[in-house]
Amino acid sequence: MSLTDTLDTLTRIAGVRGALLVSREDGLVVAEALMDSLDGAAVAALAASLTQRIGGMTAALGHPEGVLVQLTGSEGALLVAPAPGGLLVVAIAAADVNAGELRLGLLAAAEQSA
Amino acid sequence: MRAIEPWVERPLTEFLGESAARVTLLMTASGQVVAQHGFTRSLDVMSAAALGAGIMAATAELARVMGSRPLDAVVHQGTGLGLYLAAFSTPRGRWIGLVVFGAETSLGLVQLFFARLTQDLERAAPAAEPARQVLAENFEDELNSSLRALFGR
Amino acid sequence: MPLVNFTSREITCKLVFYGPGRCGKTTNLLYIHGRVPEDRRGNMVSLATQSDRTLFFDFLPLELGIISGYTTRFQLYTVPGQVYYNATRRLVLQGADGVVFVADSQARRFDDNLESFRDLQENLLEQGVDIRQLPLVLQYNKQDLPTDLILAPSELDDAFNFRGVPSFPSDALHGSGVFETLKALSSLVLQRLAARPPAP
Repeated sequence: MSLTDTLDTLTRIAGVRGALLVSREDGLVVAEALMDSLDGAAVAALAASLTQRIGGMTAALGHPEGVLVQLTGSEGALLVAPAPGGLLVVAIAAADVNAGELRLGLLAAAEQSA
Repeated sequence: MRAIEPWVERPLTEFLGESAARVTLLMTASGQVVAQHGFTRSLDVMSAAALGAGIMAATAELARVMGSRPLDAVVHQGTGLGLYLAAFSTPRGRWIGLVVFGAETSLGLVQLFFARLTQDLERAAPAAEPARQVLAENFEDELNSSLRALFGR
Repeated sequence: MPLVNFTSREITCKLVFYGPGRCGKTTNLLYIHGRVPEDRRGNMVSLATQSDRTLFFDFLPLELGIISGYTTRFQLYTVPGQVYYNATRRLVLQGADGVVFVADSQARRFDDNLESFRDLQENLLEQGVDIRQLPLVLQYNKQDLPTDLILAPSELDDAFNFRGVPSFPSDALHGSGVFETLKALSSLVLQRLAARPPAP
């Protein structure tokens, strides 16, 4: 499955506004499928930074790395899942998204991107 | 942090805070230092500015030879240390930014906040001041004695 | 114009040594580097080929001291002299506050000097700078060679110094004339920041 196909499986979920594959270390976009109004470069940089900080926190607590980070706000949500090969799968969704479906989709996409 | 013009300080401080860059140098296209953070010796800053401006000038020339528009940025990625070099327009002419960053941040974050820095600088730039007298009429006496001291004469 | 920091009271000037290949531009900088105390200069940056010819530029930052209450710094650059490095010369010349044209006094290098001098004028014009408006000093280098091999300063003045700018015979390898050249150019460059109008 190509990287674009992987992202398409996420953007087909109702309420998802965009999905990206991000280089974890650099915070740069590897592939993206976004609605026009979203700034992919900014999302990628901030999502990688967020994951790095949370990773640092869990390591300090002695916990294993998490498989999913979810930030929920009044207008929507940002979900990030670490993927093999130093990548992150990132999804941006509206508030009314089916969160369970998106989480499953994101984890599957992370596996497929290997 | 040191800046030639005070209006540069606030945007640069914000950039340093958000990007977590270790060293940042703003210079004119001809390699004159405008502002810097992270260097301890002014003479080293000038060397870094000369080399940064040289790299950007060489890159622009390379783009011209290839029939391309000038390239906006150059990235050198080392082990544990990265260097981001980018040219941008300001109301005071073409400037270049040189950012050295470590593993505590990422190229993506540096790029993101650098783009914001260039916008902030554009907004913050006051109208250019007319040239004014800087040196006294008898500056040459001081110049000569400084040069003599420098050359041990 | 030199860059002036009114807040921290600093002046920075970009001075460029221009001239044909092997005329002694880098030698000028090496002499200055060797002569000036370490705490008043930076490291000399040299981007050279394996055979020690300047590839991109040489660069030497100098801290002159305090003049009229301003900490004054010079950035000395050389350009690569070989004809095929013209694009690089243009880049280094960008934003120069003053130029030293170093001519090789050997009679057999006369045409090379002429070509380089024309090249300087063209490259300045391309950047919208009229050579008549730019502080310029001429240095006739290698005057230590046997007289039958070289042209006298007066002969070189006839060929190059139509503006009557300061000119100096030199032997950059041993330092003669280097100090005088730098002194004259710094004076011309800083005059632009002084109260009286610049010399015609």
